[in-house]
Amino acid sequence: MSYRDLREFLSLLEKENQLVRIKEPLMPEPDLSAIGRAAPNMENGPAVFIEKVKGYKNSVALNIQGSWQNHALMLNLPKDTSIKDQFFALDKLWSDYPVKPVWVKEKNAPIKENKITKGINLFDILSLFRVNKYDGGFFISKGLVVSKEPEARDDFNKENVGIYRIQAKGKDLVGIQALPFHDIAIHLMKAEERNEPLPIAICIGNDPVLNFMASTPIEYVQSEYDFAGALKGAPIELVKSEKNDLDIPARSEIVLEGHILPRVREIEGPFGEFPGSYSGARLQCEVKIHTITHRNNPIFENLYLGMPWTEIDYLMALNTSIPLYRQLKKDFPEVVAVNAMYTHGIGVIVSTKSRFGGYGKAVAMRLLSTPHGMPYSKIVIIVDEFVDPFNLPQVMWALTTRVRPSKDVILIPNAPGMPLDPSSEPAGIHTKLIIDATTPVAPDSGRETELLDVPEKTEFWLDYLKTAIRKEK
Amino acid sequence: MICPRCDSDIAGLLVKAPVDNAWEVYKCNTCNFTWRSTESEDITDPSKYDKRFKINPSTIPSMVVIPPIPKLIK
Repeated sequence: MSYRDLREFLSLLEKENQLVRIKEPLMPEPDLSAIGRAAPNMENGPAVFIEKVKGYKNSVALNIQGSWQNHALMLNLPKDTSIKDQFFALDKLWSDYPVKPVWVKEKNAPIKENKITKGINLFDILSLFRVNKYDGGFFISKGLVVSKEPEARDDFNKENVGIYRIQAKGKDLVGIQALPFHDIAIHLMKAEERNEPLPIAICIGNDPVLNFMASTPIEYVQSEYDFAGALKGAPIELVKSEKNDLDIPARSEIVLEGHILPRVREIEGPFGEFPGSYSGARLQCEVKIHTITHRNNPIFENLYLGMPWTEIDYLMALNTSIPLYRQLKKDFPEVVAVNAMYTHGIGVIVSTKSRFGGYGKAVAMRLLSTPHGMPYSKIVIIVDEFVDPFNLPQVMWALTTRVRPSKDVILIPNAPGMPLDPSSEPAGIHTKLIIDATTPVAPDSGRETELLDVPEKTEFWLDYLKTAIRKEK
Repeated sequence: MICPRCDSDIAGLLVKAPVDNAWEVYKCNTCNFTWRSTESEDITDPSKYDKRFKINPSTIPSMVVIPPIPKLIK
């Protein structure tokens, strides 16, 4: 693997001309969120490393995963790899699961270079800033939260690694959002039933593959670390937390250890969320931080999220698509690819060959009954097997030339929905929309139509023209 | 100190900048809002804070609880 942690990935990005360094000191607001918004607006979406933020000790890294180029480099692919090719490369790596982590000795774990247990002040270590203007405070938006199921602390597969929004509320106090359908909520429920605190570790500045897997909807008993190892083709290096026996990445920049206060809910938010709008202020959990470990000169990596596309969209794009693809493919082998990149799979496009009439609709209904598709997916578009679901002009072609609205558009009212989607009404209830844009096959029937062929030698001329353009540069 | 978001008067200093004396961060003990002294007036000034995001302290106890608190096991 060409990198082992955030620092080595930054070096790789720099070598590939995918990193911008800013040396002049910046104010936390409004510069940092503006950079986080601007970088993914660019065609090649570079990562940005801010060396000095006024008032803070430590540097900031933004938009590390905020482009398809950086996404490809994360997967050890050439940076110009197409999205569809990245999808199939990722699917191939998925089959290597599990690659078990290794536990390194403390002296080989950079995260243990510095330990703080007294006088904790998050602002001493984290260069916190307001992510969106009307957020209720300063948020840690890219922290991996590690927790164990209280009744199964020895079951490594049930240990959870997830990214949840975290609001800095005090020098040693943060708020955390644990939505009921997230894995951490299962751990929390079991702890709160016993009125016990839930130990957690919040890991910041991580190997990008870890952030990627922590954002992926895998099964409750699957380990994010085992998946990350599969994606890297090498085991993740772990070490034990200072307290409570949690498994944390040995090469992260900063780890905050603490516990969720049992049966406590205090006002948190609003926070600008991934659907591109603010969530309301709600009563949510709080975490007391008792220990911080960090590398020398730790880098504070954080994430801006705004109206799509911003960095967060790359963290819930192909990793949302692959599990859905695999679940569909099991029962519907004709499925070719799944594009669930839109707002964490609220919008999904599936390409499939139709075995018989109405097949596209059956595929859509299966998608809507998968664990992730059931609450999240609201708009499902099914296209033919020869349409690239990642190529939106092709998808629009299918919609405009294949859909018979009176037969191919279906509404399913009062179905499960994603509460953060501002159009779910009441929050958590959707009407599902299926659009079957496949060509009718028997026993269904449509007008006779013959597709245009691609002219002979098109591939040759594509290569020729690409080479000619490169030479001119 | 008055909180710019909920206008309660039990807000105060949370932390000073670790270096450079560059700013201070304040926290409201009613609505947990935090803000930095160097932010724009429409964040720091209670009369200029956007009305759409103001919070009436009396509404806090009835806000949605996430996740629900389970029953204790006896």
